[in-house]
Amino acid sequence: MDQSRRNFCRGIGAATVGAATLAATPGEAAAGPRKGGDAAHRWAMVVDVRKCVGCQACTVACIMENDVPENSFRTIVSTYEVTEQGKTGSYMLPRLCNHCEDAPCIPVCPTGATYQRKDGIVVVDNTVCVGCAYCVQACPYDARFINHETQTADKCTFCVHRVDAGLLPACVETCVGGARIFGDLKDPDSTVSRLVREQDPKVLKPEQGTQPRVFYIGLDPKFQGKVDGTPTLWRPSAQPHVEAHVEKEHA
Amino acid sequence: MDTNIVEIINVTREVAWLPWAVQYFFLIGLSVGGVLLSLPGYAFANDEWRKLGRVGLLVALTCGLAAPVALLSDLHQPGRFWHFYAVFRPTSWMWWGSLIIPFYVTGLLVYAWTCFREELQEHGRVDSHLATLYRLAALGGGRDDRLIRYAGLVVLAGAVLVALYTGAEVAVVKARPLWHTPFLPVQFLTTALVGAAGLVLILNRFAADHDLAVEARANRLLAGFLGAVMAVGGLWLAFGLFGIDRTHTEALEGVANSEAWRVTAVWAVLATVAPFVIAVAKPVGTGLLTGLIAVHSAWMFRWTVFIGGQTVPKTGAGFYEYALPAGPDGLLGIIGTAGLWLFLLLVITAVLPTPARSAPRPVRAAHAADRTMAAAE
Ligand code: SF4
Ligand code: SF4
Repeated sequence: MDQSRRNFCRGIGAATVGAATLAATPGEAAAGPRKGGDAAHRWAMVVDVRKCVGCQACTVACIMENDVPENSFRTIVSTYEVTEQGKTGSYMLPRLCNHCEDAPCIPVCPTGATYQRKDGIVVVDNTVCVGCAYCVQACPYDARFINHETQTADKCTFCVHRVDAGLLPACVETCVGGARIFGDLKDPDSTVSRLVREQDPKVLKPEQGTQPRVFYIGLDPKFQGKVDGTPTLWRPSAQPHVEAHVEKEHA
Repeated sequence: MDTNIVEIINVTREVAWLPWAVQYFFLIGLSVGGVLLSLPGYAFANDEWRKLGRVGLLVALTCGLAAPVALLSDLHQPGRFWHFYAVFRPTSWMWWGSLIIPFYVTGLLVYAWTCFREELQEHGRVDSHLATLYRLAALGGGRDDRLIRYAGLVVLAGAVLVALYTGAEVAVVKARPLWHTPFLPVQFLTTALVGAAGLVLILNRFAADHDLAVEARANRLLAGFLGAVMAVGGLWLAFGLFGIDRTHTEALEGVANSEAWRVTAVWAVLATVAPFVIAVAKPVGTGLLTGLIAVHSAWMFRWTVFIGGQTVPKTGAGFYEYALPAGPDGLLGIIGTAGLWLFLLLVITAVLPTPARSAPRPVRAAHAADRTMAAAE
């Protein structure tokens, strides 16, 4: 069992002990009341990009776990080829919903379908969502999309159904390199709390003021915002004879 | 340091606000513009503006009634639209929009009725099978300037709210630097006025009696609106170029290196400058040309903002590709809304054909020998 999983089980037991390293006070003013979940926890993820091998096992595990439609992704490992001073290497950056503390996707939602649980997980009630996609526009991380099977907004939920059952998110469970570490920020002894305290991890687009709760260790500033580079070369759906609706969204 | 980054694997997010949204913002903008152009002639009873106002009213009505259909179609779950009305979500401009739209459209219908009441009354006096219906529709009254003014002020409030919410809804999206600018609501409004003046010029030719005075006036208005568009566009550019504000610089940097965006920019400038020059140099006889360019330019602006804006990735490199789908989410949606608009225009102009007399009234009043005309005065 890897570090992240072991810590998670311990975290559950030791929940509610002590104060959180990071202020986890709900930013309720703009976003509306938090509902559901257990306020004793504040779930978060630390991604150690140095350990990511870019195998996309998390991408696949997420799709299987959450029945993500073809050509849509709740998480993906963005992979870059970086050439610097004549040397070329790869850079991997797992991306997912940041379950932001001050999530801009919430206040814009006209129906209240998008909301934050007391444990910080941002979810979409797809029985309420009208599919207006305002939240898709408002997320600064392109973390959301319209699921064409439900015709509602969709995104990573930290595998909320698994977390509620005391399990790890599927991507964490499957991570080969142990790069994804999940846990409770309100438990000062959890690995995520410790890493956040000791490693000074970075977040994506801090200037947006969203206060992400997905942290990155080893995040190169060149990848912190919109990446300045040559766009993706891998376009599997751009092959000929692929139906138009598939073509609209490709990886 | 010389770094070269090539993205090998990343997700491509498809456009989530569809061409339906472009149609909605285009139509509702033109409708607001049409209302504003109709106010001097009707709500403020300035007879010199009456004929232009009538064409403006046609623009406002046809576009204003077609717009909500396009908006509804942009929802991926249109059947759930009532969910807007089951909650209180004051933090969402879209939620406010769901209250403002019915207010505006209802106000518009009432206002249009007060404006057209005089005509309904006239039709009710003609000896025809439909006369009773017209009389019913007129509710036994005619021109009532006070009523028109009250209704006009209400619809003016609605129009202001629509302009405010449609602009703010997009401008608050901090995640998209291209949208996140206080200039955007102003740009929406000025380009909407351009589009409305353009459509007035076109309808003056095809759905009214091609009055040259209306054409000249509308062309001059158009030139003014285009001037405003250029001024605001120039300011936006200055903010980006001279680094006055970071969001604007970011927005500009995001698209400046793209060939497609450069072509779009040149196109937009041409579609603004050309009708401006023509309208100023020759306000009579050019209305159809300037009108068509103006309407096209108002539409293009929205297409570029919405569809173009969504092809700029928030985290990934380069741009997402967009190909207009042929189905309801693309071309069919655009043609469908245009068809609906045309249908509304045909119905309204069939029920209320352009009155035979023309303003200023004293000129024609001399010829107003028949009973109907005399009664209308
Ligand atoms: S990453 Fe995007 S979708 Fe997730 S909480 Fe933050 S703003 Fe919302
Ligand atoms: S798509 Fe759904 S969740 Fe997103 S803003 Fe609209 S109603 Fe809310």
